[in-house]
Amino acid sequence: MTTLAVPTRSPRRRIRISRVLLSIVAIVVALVWVFPVYWMVSSSLLPNVVLTSTKPRFFPFGGSLDNYEGVMSSGFLRALGISLQVTLIAVVCAIIFAFLAALAISRFKFRGRRSFVLAILFIQMLPAEGLFIAQYKMVSTVGMLNTVIGISVLYIAAVIPFTIWMLRGFVAGIPAELEESAKVDGCSSVSAFFRITFPLLAPGLVASGVYAFLQAWNEFTIALVILPKEDMRTLPLWLRGFIQASQARETDWGQVMAASTLVAVPVIIFFLIVQGRLTSGLVAGAVKG
Amino acid sequence: MTSTDATTPKSDTTKGVKRKTHVTPYILILPASIMLLVAMGYPLGWQIWASFMKFGLRQQFGAPPDFVGLENYISVFTNKTTWGVVARSLIFCVANAALTLVVGIALALLMNAVSKAVRLILQICLLLAWAMPVVAVVTVWIWLFDWRRGVINYILTHLGLNFSSFNWLGTSMGLYFVATVIVVWMSVPFVAFSVFAGLTQVSEEVMEAASLDGASATRRFVSIIVPMIRPVLMIVGLLQIIWDLRVFTQIKMLQDAQMPLNSDLLGTYIYRLGVGSGDFAMASALSIFVLIITIIFSIAYVLQLIKEDS
Amino acid sequence: MKGKIAAVALGLAAALTLTGCAAGTPTPSTTTTGAQNITFWLIGNDTPQPLRDYLVDEYKKVNGGTLTIEEQTWGDIITKLTTMLPDAANTPDVTEIGNTQSPTFTNVGAFADISDMYSTLGGDKLLQSFVDVGKVDGKNYTLPYYFGSRYMFYRKDVWAAAGVTAPPATLADFNKDVVTITENNPDAINDFSGFFLGGQDWRNGISWIFANGGDLAKQGADGTWTSTFSDPNSIAGLTQLQDIQMKASKAPSTAKDQSPWLYINDSDSVTDANGNVTDSTSLAAATIMAPGWAHWSIGDLTKDATTGKDVRTWNDDTFGVFPLPGNDGKPAPVFAGGSNIGISAKSSNQAGARQLMEIIFSAEYQTMLGQNGLGPANSDYVSSLGSDEFAKALIDSASNSKLTPAAPGWAGVEASGKLEEFFQKVADGGDIVSLAKEYDDIITPMLNQK
Repeated sequence: MTTLAVPTRSPRRRIRISRVLLSIVAIVVALVWVFPVYWMVSSSLLPNVVLTSTKPRFFPFGGSLDNYEGVMSSGFLRALGISLQVTLIAVVCAIIFAFLAALAISRFKFRGRRSFVLAILFIQMLPAEGLFIAQYKMVSTVGMLNTVIGISVLYIAAVIPFTIWMLRGFVAGIPAELEESAKVDGCSSVSAFFRITFPLLAPGLVASGVYAFLQAWNEFTIALVILPKEDMRTLPLWLRGFIQASQARETDWGQVMAASTLVAVPVIIFFLIVQGRLTSGLVAGAVKG
Repeated sequence: MTSTDATTPKSDTTKGVKRKTHVTPYILILPASIMLLVAMGYPLGWQIWASFMKFGLRQQFGAPPDFVGLENYISVFTNKTTWGVVARSLIFCVANAALTLVVGIALALLMNAVSKAVRLILQICLLLAWAMPVVAVVTVWIWLFDWRRGVINYILTHLGLNFSSFNWLGTSMGLYFVATVIVVWMSVPFVAFSVFAGLTQVSEEVMEAASLDGASATRRFVSIIVPMIRPVLMIVGLLQIIWDLRVFTQIKMLQDAQMPLNSDLLGTYIYRLGVGSGDFAMASALSIFVLIITIIFSIAYVLQLIKEDS
Repeated sequence: MKGKIAAVALGLAAALTLTGCAAGTPTPSTTTTGAQNITFWLIGNDTPQPLRDYLVDEYKKVNGGTLTIEEQTWGDIITKLTTMLPDAANTPDVTEIGNTQSPTFTNVGAFADISDMYSTLGGDKLLQSFVDVGKVDGKNYTLPYYFGSRYMFYRKDVWAAAGVTAPPATLADFNKDVVTITENNPDAINDFSGFFLGGQDWRNGISWIFANGGDLAKQGADGTWTSTFSDPNSIAGLTQLQDIQMKASKAPSTAKDQSPWLYINDSDSVTDANGNVTDSTSLAAATIMAPGWAHWSIGDLTKDATTGKDVRTWNDDTFGVFPLPGNDGKPAPVFAGGSNIGISAKSSNQAGARQLMEIIFSAEYQTMLGQNGLGPANSDYVSSLGSDEFAKALIDSASNSKLTPAAPGWAGVEASGKLEEFFQKVADGGDIVSLAKEYDDIITPMLNQK
């Protein structure tokens, strides 16, 4: 905690003992944090008989991909497809709608603005565990049970409040004059937006996109009632079903861990794609807000 | 954050852009409002309605519900179990939110203090933890804490502590401990990245100057860093409180593994009343009650946010 | 053969639909319904694939429509039934339901009245304790699907090494033997249980109440239910149970009845590529109690030749079974596992659903259930279980088995977790008389809640 400034440009470059200590601490923390992930992947490569031993095996020597074969053949790809559709729709719609709303509350003063802001802050405090019955009735009445659209609408509504709040900071951070001046220079309203405002917003969109992505990707309690059909299961539902089926006899930890790993992989890929923008997005939204 | 060399002619109206009509903001919030209304309006309305009815499984299967006024609320209020659950939930929420924030900030400071290579390792590890889907996370942790073959018992026992066959999920305290480990483990990456992002905005020159002036590390932290990252902390803090107060998946999955006495928190309690026992009216009344508690609990926070907003 | 049975079933179906109309049931006229596509929910993976295929094929023959079987899980079935059974557009036409969940759903009108089919589907030959939980005001709504009574699985080798060479003859013997085995602990294993019984495992634990003549609840003349933990017979059973929990079982007091077979399986060793033993897995228990189908999960770990998956293969030298003996030496009354089956009241395919019921209760399907180790609903076909030790233990233990009370609020009692609480507190050594009184007071009003 002693050297907070990035020291490379400092004329007094002192390699302090504390620095070394901090590095060691950081490595230890990193290892502790990654251990469960490592354990999941390592176990997914081992046969069940090794995993049920009293002596844990810390390295997957002699491992194989056998567990993955069993997992892949039990409907993973179909569930992946459903999850990708649901998440894509939820993220894209949530971001567009939230951006428009964020524009309204950060650029305009209007009657009802404060109520709107309060509403979006409070609405996310309602416990979801009591809503199933009503949500089911609603979705079923309009015939949207077991449809990607049905569940997506609920997800969009679930992530929109926080997304608006997040984007509000970014929009406020971009001087409106910038866009105006572009228009003065002869750009149309639309092209001014896309050439000036949009690039500045990109990190914010990424940050809120990550949030919406994780919410939609992980959710399973609403999905359980809205997507009851087996071939409409999203990945978390599929994983849960896989675990429950395994537990009915004797939990096959190797396969359960392989299944968990497979569900995590798309998220990691997504993170790798957006990682460059992610941190800068978090910064701007937070500090300029 | 960007080059603003497009120096704009200062217009008379410094407050944004003046539009001719006042319809624009309403059009802009329309899609979001419609989504919220469509998806939340009916369920919320139904919940409020049901909370004044006698609505159980029989009504769910078509029997007409009776209006019972405030009866459900009165039984929620006068039920000792409810207050136990509320108290436990509040404690769990505060402890988890605080722990997450403290560890998150500490890790952010750590990231800021180490060399680029070490920082990258730490960031990748945190990112991997963050990317784990919650069902997978809880499954892995349950296995790590397993009383017979859990790695954690194995390691602790080999460190000379007697944790052989120690059943972590055998008591509600143990279950909350495991849940806290899981929640903190999952939530810290988000806090750490957000705060770290905020820290990179703190100008080096300011820090150097403060350092030269002889300000201690603690002092620099309190008087320079905290104010700079305050907006991050505010929003992240509010989120943690909301999330941790309505924590459901982690507790439910742990309870499915083993369920010690008195281990319900608000989320699982509402679920047990509603879907479990088929008393949807009570579950609704309790949900509304929780909404009110959350609002009371966070009102100061929200007002502060609103103030900083305008 | 198949064709013949199908023809018989068809004839029966026709006869039934006629009587159905005559009896004036709400069923729409079914004489010329044509093909109906119906959905059937099975819970868990107990029903093997060949049986599912048989149902689909037969239904196609009888009705012409398509039968879709959807597998649900026990963990989520209440949620699914609560939301979808009242929803005419999405309800399954026929569904399996846990026998303890049946009273609650039949009482609220979730199932169609099938009293008129009762005698055709087996009548008094059907397992009566299961029929009772599907009955309201003398009408039949759900009927037994299959049963799997609970009996004991034990490690012959460990029992012998501990000096107990024969299975117990009476309940008192059993109670004594498992304590002896725990104390002798022949392999000197840490936390070894002579009899592994989870503290919250009320489904197995109530056997001691039943075996001593006690019951969970009884119905008064006015129709209301009363919880009866405080009954002297129940207290006697609970006292024995507490003794076992304190002296013979090292299971966590929060453990439920999930996969107890793990604890008697694990005597396997781990070998490396050259076949050398590198590790051993721990054996935790000498005895467990589980429903009959658990025997598929008990045995030596081997590789299945076709699928390459790890499977358990029963080994007669190591493992044995016996029904829990009662005080008189006959099999004790134990809690029967299994489930019921019924037609959704909201189903618009009543005719097709009824045809499926006929197929399920046909001689051929009942026999198939038995051949797969699932106790058939109709006692005429119990012989199909075969004559091996599992069949014998299953039939013996089922001869005297009981179910949870057919009270309208029973599912609510289960969902509340109060039974787990009570049994855990008993297992932890609490004062039985005061606990029994406390939980009677809690459970009685829940029993009568509709």
